[in-house]
Amino acid sequence: MLRNIDEGVLIALESLRVNKLRSTLTILGVVIGVATVMTMASIVEGIRTQVFNAVNAAVPNVFYVMRWFGATPFDPSNPPYEVRIRPVLTENDAAAIARAPLVRHAALWCRFSSRIEFEDSRTQITEVWGSDERFIELQGGTLLAGRLFAPSEVRTGAPVTILASDVARSIFGRLDPVGRYVRMGNRALQVIGIWHPPDNAFRQPGATTGAFVPYRMAKGSFRFDETRELFVVVLGDLSVSVGDVRDQATVALRRFRGLRPGLPNTFDTITQDQMLQMVDRLTGAFFLVMIALSGVSLLVGGIGVMAIMMVSVTSRTREIGTRKALGATRQESLWQFLVEAATLTLVGGSIGILVGLGMGEVMKAGLAIDARPPLWSAAAAVVVSIAIGLGFGLYPANRAARMDPVEALRHE
Amino acid sequence: MSDLVIHVVDLVREYQMGAERIQALRGVSLEIRRNEYVAIMGPSGSGKSTMMNVLGCLDTPTSGEYWLAGQEVSRLSDDALARIRNREIGFVFQTFNLLPRATALQNVELPLVYGGVGGRDRRDRARRALERVGLGNRMDHRPNELSGGQRQRVAIARALVNEPAILLADEPTGNLDSTTSADVMRVFDRLQTQGQTIVLVTHEAEIAAHADRVVTLRDGRIASDLRQDRTRAA
Repeated sequence: MLRNIDEGVLIALESLRVNKLRSTLTILGVVIGVATVMTMASIVEGIRTQVFNAVNAAVPNVFYVMRWFGATPFDPSNPPYEVRIRPVLTENDAAAIARAPLVRHAALWCRFSSRIEFEDSRTQITEVWGSDERFIELQGGTLLAGRLFAPSEVRTGAPVTILASDVARSIFGRLDPVGRYVRMGNRALQVIGIWHPPDNAFRQPGATTGAFVPYRMAKGSFRFDETRELFVVVLGDLSVSVGDVRDQATVALRRFRGLRPGLPNTFDTITQDQMLQMVDRLTGAFFLVMIALSGVSLLVGGIGVMAIMMVSVTSRTREIGTRKALGATRQESLWQFLVEAATLTLVGGSIGILVGLGMGEVMKAGLAIDARPPLWSAAAAVVVSIAIGLGFGLYPANRAARMDPVEALRHE
Repeated sequence: MSDLVIHVVDLVREYQMGAERIQALRGVSLEIRRNEYVAIMGPSGSGKSTMMNVLGCLDTPTSGEYWLAGQEVSRLSDDALARIRNREIGFVFQTFNLLPRATALQNVELPLVYGGVGGRDRRDRARRALERVGLGNRMDHRPNELSGGQRQRVAIARALVNEPAILLADEPTGNLDSTTSADVMRVFDRLQTQGQTIVLVTHEAEIAAHADRVVTLRDGRIASDLRQDRTRAA
């Protein structure tokens, strides 16, 4: 049977060439389906790589303590019971963790959103961190100009800010921002430094860190969600694994909150590995949805292939009769049309792979992520498109195989 | 026995046409020996086509025996019949039935493809068959680049390539003008002198005149079975 593959492939390619429009429409569904999967695979893989790089490149011995960490979103003004029973994190919690062995630094930080304005220019709503004088140690990046917060400014919650370099450029242009005042909400803050974010950090569009302010300033003047935007950031000793430091911090905070053995934690700790797992879970769900969607277009493509193969079988009835007269068995007739259908869908799949690669390039440029479709997705696309040809070609091919040679030869 | 290529005993073929039962063959017995040149004649409706289909193993009889090259083939499965057709029968059709997209050589190779002959051997045998019908210089032409007579000679080469027990030709000149007909018949005549057993199914007396023996069917039975001195073109 294998000896007929080359012939079937040639016939299929020939009919593709002769009926360009018809064939294009036929394989369009397969092209779209495969391209979708390829594009999605690149995006997901790109995001994953970015997160992975950011996590690896940032500071590996940093982790976070939060009131609650979960994948399911909820209304922050009305948290569910299992969240409400947990106390909101305080600076005393952070101080208790800071006293634990192996912990080099621990502080209560927060995150909020605001526009940053200077005279007539203003940014989009951007993310601002309420932090402390050691944020570069924990977040990476470099100080381009000015200075970090002074301990006294952190202690008193002074109205000062350190701007991210792109924010500074967008609202100050060529002016030197250091020493000038910007507005956030209804506060006027003096710019004391310019921070350049780490190059490899994971930045979602629209979620760029725009500025840092002292935590106490943020707490006094801005609103933020105490469950998801308030956390203790912990820097562990580099000589031990982050897991060991986390265990120490957990023990310290449990003791501080008076939790007896056997009672569950009233807080969550999140290492960067866990964040990565979370991203995996989210992108996994996203990916499943995309696969289901592209499954629909593959199904449509498959039905198109089936229809065109029915036409092909009918219009070549006499050829089928001739082949049978010359000695083709049922299996050989079946095989001939299956190979033809699979070639059609394989061509569609290959075009889909190319389109997917192209889309990946566009995404790479547009979203500033490194979107390279993984090899397995191309291999899977090839296998799936062949399988679709075989699956949907089976019915028409079987019709050809079961034809009575006498009838087929008489066919006009 | 070894000399008998076709041995048919009391062959009956019935068709169900709606409520009616039609007997296309009503008990035909026939023996054809090696290297015989037989024409099967008869008006339309005589059972000629059915006879040709049964002899060609495209169809199976309702009852009766059919021994082809020493093997009883009247009760074989579809696939077994396909194998028999591939090995023992070379078909030549009125409408040539060549694959339009394939070259002459590829068309002639087709029975060898189904016979499991591969590669170089297949090409060599197909080339020799084309040379036997005088088309050694047209091997890479497609059917639409060949004249009607040349197309039919390609079909004859295709029928010969597996060295079948019988060459079974169904109105082989029905689509050809008289000059090319004579041309094609000369090919048959020459093959017969080289030892090939040939069965022609035709309604044209002129064509049947090439055979050594004419079997005439009427109403599903053999009406006459006559030997004759063939006329051969010079």
